[in-house]
Amino acid sequence: MNTTVKIWITSILILVLALTFLLIGSGLDFDYLIPKRLLRLTTIVLGSICLAFSAILFQTIVGNRILAPSVMGYEAVYLLWQVLLLSILGAHGLAMLSVNGNFLISIALMLVYSWALHYWLLPRCKNDVYMLLLFGLVLTMVLGTATQYIQLSISPGEFSIFQGLSYTSFNRSNPETLLYGVLTVAVVLWIGRKTLPVLDVLSLGREQSMSLGVNHPQYVRLYLALIAILVAVSTSLIGPTAFMGVFIANIAYALAGSNKHKVILPIGCAVSIIIFLVAQLFVEHVFNYKTSVSILVNLVCGIYFLTLIARTRGTS
Amino acid sequence: MITVHNLHKDYGKKSVLTNVSLAFPKGCITSLIGPNGAGKSTLLMMMAKLLEPSSGHVSFDGQNISDIRTAEYAHHVATLRQSPGFNLRLTVEELISFGRFPYSRGSLTKQDSQIIDEAIDFLALEDLRHAYLDELSGGQRQMAFLAMTIAQQTDVLLLDEPLNNLDMKHAVQIMQALRRLCDEQKRTVILVIHDINFAANYSDHIVALKNGALSFSGPAEQVVTETNLGNLYELNFEIIRSKRGCLCNYFN
Repeated sequence: MNTTVKIWITSILILVLALTFLLIGSGLDFDYLIPKRLLRLTTIVLGSICLAFSAILFQTIVGNRILAPSVMGYEAVYLLWQVLLLSILGAHGLAMLSVNGNFLISIALMLVYSWALHYWLLPRCKNDVYMLLLFGLVLTMVLGTATQYIQLSISPGEFSIFQGLSYTSFNRSNPETLLYGVLTVAVVLWIGRKTLPVLDVLSLGREQSMSLGVNHPQYVRLYLALIAILVAVSTSLIGPTAFMGVFIANIAYALAGSNKHKVILPIGCAVSIIIFLVAQLFVEHVFNYKTSVSILVNLVCGIYFLTLIARTRGTS
Repeated sequence: MITVHNLHKDYGKKSVLTNVSLAFPKGCITSLIGPNGAGKSTLLMMMAKLLEPSSGHVSFDGQNISDIRTAEYAHHVATLRQSPGFNLRLTVEELISFGRFPYSRGSLTKQDSQIIDEAIDFLALEDLRHAYLDELSGGQRQMAFLAMTIAQQTDVLLLDEPLNNLDMKHAVQIMQALRRLCDEQKRTVILVIHDINFAANYSDHIVALKNGALSFSGPAEQVVTETNLGNLYELNFEIIRSKRGCLCNYFN
């Protein structure tokens, strides 16, 4: 199947899913139901772009296909920060800080975490992916436990706010956050737009890319910063996504049949949008909100992650 | 061309290269030889701008290479490390087109495609053009990587153990290709090599390192002697010269 056919099929699939999502059982209620759904649809699209880009960029930079920002503890840092805010400022304080304040601080925090990974962890596990994976999972666990510890000290009201933040969901976004998200992502994509061929070279590894004239350290810093921003946007929009990033990236490689990021990145976004739309349709219309998107997605992606690890272990 | 001045490299407290000064002749094949851990690859990596020296410097055409931008240096010097364990699904042609990246920055021109074709012809890789790298044998893959380096069209090629894990046939093919690069296209090739017989028969110039210091260097026919090699490898050498070249026997 050639690329044009693939693009057509995915576009049509996305369009059909999106229309179904917007219109199914809506009774064409353009005053309330459809605008609400439109908001969720935009959230899904934006979250998908962030998720797919951050996962694929991260894998290219680290040179490995079983890692993703969420596995490396980015989202755990975000959640720890949210629970800290809640316990220090209270629910009222969180509201005072306002959505954009929180958003900006989250981005700053992700940048700091990225920087720490870059200077402290990556050089230490240069040739050992499993070490890196182990570090990532342990870090995620440590941060998660710290988060749980603080959870114990907050009031039930604050706890319920926090719980809302710690699941993947498309219901929490409001037009204001969405607008900031769109603007941020637009800036990130604009910065990254000319460097797509560089990404292809970076996937050859540090030494080969430097030999081809790519200033590897400089680009790695740039991309880690962009990834941090994308993760901050996606986590504050749709919450933690766990293994979803690994899943999307690997499906995208398989479908793209090419190593050009020009091809892989859009396919990754499309895959992500399709999965989220299907999951959300199931949650809304099949399970009637008795289960959540994050449970569905984690079930599928978690199993995939396990098989991926088992398979790579076998061949390497 | 490339000269190194008082080069030192320490890893922590251990120094792997001490006070090496050398000039590499232009348009020649120069082999870096020496026992394991002598600092050959370290020296090559510093010349490739992939590793910072602890002290001393490397200069290219009289200019300190740390003052040359990475993008600019890639127009003059191409490096090939020991063929990496590869998990990318690339075809031979796609890999070779990466060699044009320093010029095209990703969008290939007609001229670029022509140079890629020439590199493929040069190493007779036409049959493998659309084959995937992970389906090739070690020797074929090494050829593909070498073709990428050739397509970079630099004056200098730095190769780190290009014969590693290759059978005799592929090793001879690669050395003959390098010989032609040098003789027909006047390129300078500097390579790390372990097999003393390949070094003695195919290179013009030999640089020998031992324990991080220069042991000897000079034109191949002058420095390949029983005493020199015996001191370098701490083995008993017998050198048999014939019409087809020389054979360094170090067995028994």
